[in-house]
Amino acid sequence: MSGHKESILREPLITGRDITYAKITDDILMPVENKPNRAWWIGFIMALCGATLWVVAVSYTFWFGIGAWGLNKTVGWAWDITGFVWWVGIGHAGTLISAVLLLFRQNWRNSINRSAEAMTIFAVICAATYVVSHMGRPWLAYWVLPLPNQFGSLWVNFNSPLVWDMFAISTYFSVSLLFWYTGLLPDIATIRDRATGVRRRIYSIFSLGWSGSVKTWQRFEAVSLILAGISTPLVLSVHTIVSMDFATSVIPGWHTTIFPPYFVAGAIFSGFAMVLTLLLVARKVLGLENYITMFHIESMNKIVMLTGSIVGVAYLTEFFIAWYSGSEYEQYAFINRSTGPYWWAYWMMMTCNVISPQLLWFKKIRTNIPATWILSIVVNIGMWFERFVIIVTSLHRDYIPSSWAMFYPTWVDVSVFVGSIGVFFTLFLLFLRALPSIAIAEVKLLLKSASEQSKMEEIREGHLNKEYVAEYIDSLNKFDSVKQEEYAKL
Amino acid sequence: MESNKKYWKGLEELNRTPDFVEKNKNEFAEPLPIEDVLSEAGLSTVTPRRDFLKALGFGLGAVSLAACQTAPVHKSIPYLIKPEEVVPGIPNYYVSSFNGQPVLVKTREGRPIKIEPNPNAGGFFRGTDAQAQASVLDLYDVSKLKNPVLKNAESNWAEIDKFVTSELNKVKASGKKIRIVSASVNSPSARNVIADFTGAYPNTKHVQYDAVSYTGIIKANENSFGKAVVPKYNFDKADLIVSFAADFLGTWISGEEFTAQYVSNRDMKSLKNGKMSRHFQFEAAMSLTGTNADTRVPIKLSEEGPALIALYNALTGAGLSGGTLGNNTVADKAIKLVAKELLQNKGRALVVCGSNDVSTQILVNAINSAIGSYGTTIDLDNPCKRFAGNDAEFAEFINEMNRGEVGAVFVLDSNPAYDTANAKGFADGLAKVGLKVSFADRADETASLCDVVAISNNYLESWGDANSYEGFYSIVQPTINPVFNSRQAEESLLAWSDAPVKEYYQYVRNYWEANILPAAGKTWADLLQSGVINTPAKPAGSYTFSLSLSAVVPAVLSNSKSLAKDIELIVYESAPIRNGKYANNAFLQELPDPVSKVTWDNYIALSPKFAEELGFKEFDVVNIKDDKGYSIDLPVMIQPGQAKGTAAVALGYGRTKSGKCGDGVGKNAYPFTSFTNGTTKYTTTVKLSGTGSREELAQTQTHHSFEGRNVIREATFEAYKKNPAAGSGNDHAKHKTYDLWDKYEKPGNNWVMAIDLNACTGCGSCIVACNVENNIPVVGKDEVRRRREMHWIRIDRYYSYNVESGHDEEGAAGSGGKHSEHSAGISSVTKEKEISHLEEKDMNDVSVVHQPMLCQHCDHAPCETVCPVLATVHSSDGLNHMAYNRCVGTRYCANNCPYKVRRFNWFNYWNDSRFDNYLNNEFTQLLLNPDVTARSRGVMEKCSMCIQRIQAGKLQAKIEKRPLKDGDIQMACQQACSANAIIFGDGNDPDSEVSKALRSERVYYVLEEINVQPGIGYMTKIRNTGTTVHA
Repeated sequence: MSGHKESILREPLITGRDITYAKITDDILMPVENKPNRAWWIGFIMALCGATLWVVAVSYTFWFGIGAWGLNKTVGWAWDITGFVWWVGIGHAGTLISAVLLLFRQNWRNSINRSAEAMTIFAVICAATYVVSHMGRPWLAYWVLPLPNQFGSLWVNFNSPLVWDMFAISTYFSVSLLFWYTGLLPDIATIRDRATGVRRRIYSIFSLGWSGSVKTWQRFEAVSLILAGISTPLVLSVHTIVSMDFATSVIPGWHTTIFPPYFVAGAIFSGFAMVLTLLLVARKVLGLENYITMFHIESMNKIVMLTGSIVGVAYLTEFFIAWYSGSEYEQYAFINRSTGPYWWAYWMMMTCNVISPQLLWFKKIRTNIPATWILSIVVNIGMWFERFVIIVTSLHRDYIPSSWAMFYPTWVDVSVFVGSIGVFFTLFLLFLRALPSIAIAEVKLLLKSASEQSKMEEIREGHLNKEYVAEYIDSLNKFDSVKQEEYAKL
Repeated sequence: MESNKKYWKGLEELNRTPDFVEKNKNEFAEPLPIEDVLSEAGLSTVTPRRDFLKALGFGLGAVSLAACQTAPVHKSIPYLIKPEEVVPGIPNYYVSSFNGQPVLVKTREGRPIKIEPNPNAGGFFRGTDAQAQASVLDLYDVSKLKNPVLKNAESNWAEIDKFVTSELNKVKASGKKIRIVSASVNSPSARNVIADFTGAYPNTKHVQYDAVSYTGIIKANENSFGKAVVPKYNFDKADLIVSFAADFLGTWISGEEFTAQYVSNRDMKSLKNGKMSRHFQFEAAMSLTGTNADTRVPIKLSEEGPALIALYNALTGAGLSGGTLGNNTVADKAIKLVAKELLQNKGRALVVCGSNDVSTQILVNAINSAIGSYGTTIDLDNPCKRFAGNDAEFAEFINEMNRGEVGAVFVLDSNPAYDTANAKGFADGLAKVGLKVSFADRADETASLCDVVAISNNYLESWGDANSYEGFYSIVQPTINPVFNSRQAEESLLAWSDAPVKEYYQYVRNYWEANILPAAGKTWADLLQSGVINTPAKPAGSYTFSLSLSAVVPAVLSNSKSLAKDIELIVYESAPIRNGKYANNAFLQELPDPVSKVTWDNYIALSPKFAEELGFKEFDVVNIKDDKGYSIDLPVMIQPGQAKGTAAVALGYGRTKSGKCGDGVGKNAYPFTSFTNGTTKYTTTVKLSGTGSREELAQTQTHHSFEGRNVIREATFEAYKKNPAAGSGNDHAKHKTYDLWDKYEKPGNNWVMAIDLNACTGCGSCIVACNVENNIPVVGKDEVRRRREMHWIRIDRYYSYNVESGHDEEGAAGSGGKHSEHSAGISSVTKEKEISHLEEKDMNDVSVVHQPMLCQHCDHAPCETVCPVLATVHSSDGLNHMAYNRCVGTRYCANNCPYKVRRFNWFNYWNDSRFDNYLNNEFTQLLLNPDVTARSRGVMEKCSMCIQRIQAGKLQAKIEKRPLKDGDIQMACQQACSANAIIFGDGNDPDSEVSKALRSERVYYVLEEINVQPGIGYMTKIRNTGTTVHA
């Protein structure tokens, strides 16, 4: 892959001068091999407080019952399944980046895939906690697994989307974990080789005897490709199946065939937004600006814009179809969404998910880090509201008007959700300390072909089309990690 | 051959050495120091170290073993000598009566667990009311006293008897008066006991009063016809019913019976014969009866008198003054129409009035006489014996006490310190009485003021009888030994009057054998089997009102005039907890009011526009203050149909000493009543002022319009006559549906149900029947407010507004002809958004529909496909099962239920101290039906179609080696329904009642268009609106 020279028109994926393989290793392993800085501690303590809140709220729920939440006879799911779908959606970017972009040979994924996959795994863990904690009798959660049992011929209901869900989520989790861990092997071996004492022994065990031989590398590449192949359908299947929890029901506002593609687009949308939220901070705090460049940020923003637009089209299509269907229940469900008692949630969703990503058409905004960061958070707020709108506003006024009800969250509902964010960040911050947040080996692949310094070398050699070079230099303007003066000298 | 082989244990044994032989004589090889120990010297022998250790070891071991005994001690009663008639698992039924309604008491293993109607009752005693259904809970009420109380200390009966008799003798000697004050006593034996007591203590007088009084009717009949009775009303014989604020389907006199009578002219059988009665209701507050009226006209309280005068004038052509309704043109028009129709229906019409004012009732008598009701729809010769209270006597009794003339007071089955207009006067007077005895079962408001609380039995522990009507007698028999150390009030009175027969059982039997049974030609044993004796009714005489109304009219008008200021307030008997007697019954507290759907509270009802004018929003707490200075704070309930300028507050709330469930629920409205013109008056004028606070009422339904959805289908009677399928959607081709699923085979039975919306009055007794039958937890006010009530069957109540067409086309057009084609020019507005734009003049004509909603047992149940663990599945007999043990509680089924009838156990309601409304103690848990599992937390539940009853019915048929018959199995809801609105049975049997019912053209299935194939068919609501009365 690194044999050929990349076109000068392509923007560099690694910026900075004097980048060597060794420097890459040093830069990326800086947080792993050194004591944490203040920023990490502040973040970690806050996250830990959140995680503690989660433990308290979930324990409270387990002790007293689901009644601790604000649910009622009409609205049987609210913040719980909203949170579940939100987390599963966030978990989507990881696989997309690691598998789909790998198959499409999008090399820029190499700098972000590790963190994105870690995020996927932690998000799916958060989602899975909801699967168990929303049950009335969580101690029997294993009954949804098709296990041989002594209860007679009791089996699970293969008609139920919840069973499909259980398969989808567990498959997704195990494949993602496997993919992530496989990718980690050469990097863990790198840490092992540089470590001493107990650390060395631990990393030694987890590196599974990685020797770095050509054969190992060859097998590694083959396994990565196979896993990418297995994961790719999962990108589509997981959220398709999650959407079927709703789409296969009879509730107006849920019973919608557009849900699978709409949910998948929404999931990628929110997943990329979350990657942005995390990496924009991580790159600054961990000093990784040379590896996660403006090009990466802009690329991700483009995906956010595209998927955001798909989601917007889906929202409008739903409305159109509700009108076109002629079904009074369906029509009412959608009118109620936009003008009923939860109108504010609907317009929150529309603003955050449809209007705000359109700002990314402007390059100024797309390449502005604070603006991007704020937008990425806005998108995830919007996506939370999307699930809330789908779940709560559809349920709260369905067929029989006598049962129409409102849903009001309790402190436990809020704490479980806020707490799950704490759990997520606790895990993510621990990950940053224990494992390289960028795939070292994969980034190294890009050094000779797609780094700024290699391109500069080419320019110096002077065999390139002048116009192209000028365009290239022009494209570097947006990079916050590139010093323009040096190009002026050329 | 016998084996004599011997094994030797050592050479000593083989050789039989002398030493061995000597030793072998003893059981133990070494001599035991028994002799030493037993002798005196034993105490001084040296205990060897080993013995000491052995003893220590044994002792320690024995003590630890004994201490390891952790099994709790269960005190159970073994069936060593099994009672002959008790078979574990098989219920026994006993006839009895509750408040004069003949009932069957179901007992299991000796404990009463359910009240059912007595099929032998005959007449219109078809179902039971919610109070009867819930009454079994009162037996297991932990708030009751466990021992009689003497001077605020627990005592025993010997001491009580000694104290009371000695005090009574003192009173007798002093010549002071003795008063027995009670609610109306309709038990012949009890009346005889009181007579005997009066014989022993001649200064005794029995003062009867009713918290919700009918003295006005009794006095009026005495005045008009010389008969001081509440007549027997025959709503079944009335083709035209005009009610002035009489809630005869609910709380008025005998709601359940009247419901059965009323519905007999309106249900599917009657409709099939092309007959339907017509019902006008003129009232200020929306009553249950008002919701069922064909035409309901809101009138102010002050307009009731003028309206009656106007009606009388219109009927008779008399020119009584004051019959003008001012600017209430709608009422004016309606009265004229009513008069016209009444004259057309002479002898087949009935006018009733809920007022307790004597003059008003005399006027009503005159009207009824003018339309020939006496002898047909009103029977004065076989009167109702349930109410005999005399407000004037009670008022005089308070005066007597306050004058210090009364030496002893016995309070029987009443609570005058709470439920009377002059409760304070009563309490003050009572303090001047020497001997104060209460027969209450708890230290209620009155009993806590008494010296002696001679706790009486629950009716399920008692012998007794009832005489609801002239010639109609029923028995009360005990079904369990008294649980606490209580003694029946009658037995106490017998003991204190030193009667020859002190045992009340013998007394009742003697009384019946002497007075009632011979006339009927029955024996005591017959009675205990059938429960009722119905002697042939006397012919109902025709009476004519011939008195002058000259004195009556001014009284009526001055009464009206006195109300025509500020805000006119009516206090009315609460539908669920009645006069407050049932305040501590959790089932009834959680039974939603049939109109407002509010539980666990009373409130002030105001009409939407009037509240807006006053500046109050729903749930604003307002201060209600009357002229006498009494004031309470209550939240506002917006009540469509409430007359503008009026307000309504329910009685029965604000109890302070009813028990842990009823105390502090709502506010007491009795002080708003007054003793005026010889009767208790339930209307007054009040001023309202905001308090700035807000309190959300716990309603089971918060959206009140059906949004034009074809969930409700209705038609006018005119349209029905032309086309029985009118409004049902059956008169045009139905959309063909296709299925992905295989059809379920239902080889044996196919359990289905039919519900007649025209029969259902919305009373809610089915809800309580279902609660008791199926162990449904009561969750309390907070949980209801959170919309978590657990009722498996609910009654959905929807309002719609009838407006003149052209005013708001949208309202009626929305649902494309699914609506009743109202009389020309009238359309109904059912959508929330349109209702909010209605003008005041369009908000008077409110139509109401009640729809019982329960699990529809869909053949293509959406809940079944989504359950991940197959906890809810379909049975081969058409039922949707719920396997509680398998449920993990994902609630997906409830979300996917289009009818929202699934209920989730959010908490462990029956065993969580935070929901201690009634069941969190071992005693009250005796109420639980052992055939139905008590559900744990985290489990979904819903209507099972009383599957335990289906199984029991099948089993019974199997034992008797016969096929199941139609009617063998009855649902609890069906059984309780006086209106016969619910029919259950086998859809595979073409001759079953339910199959016949479901073949009616009126049948539609709720949400049939989503093809869930529900198993419950509803019959369209038919309104006999005739000519409408729009302004």
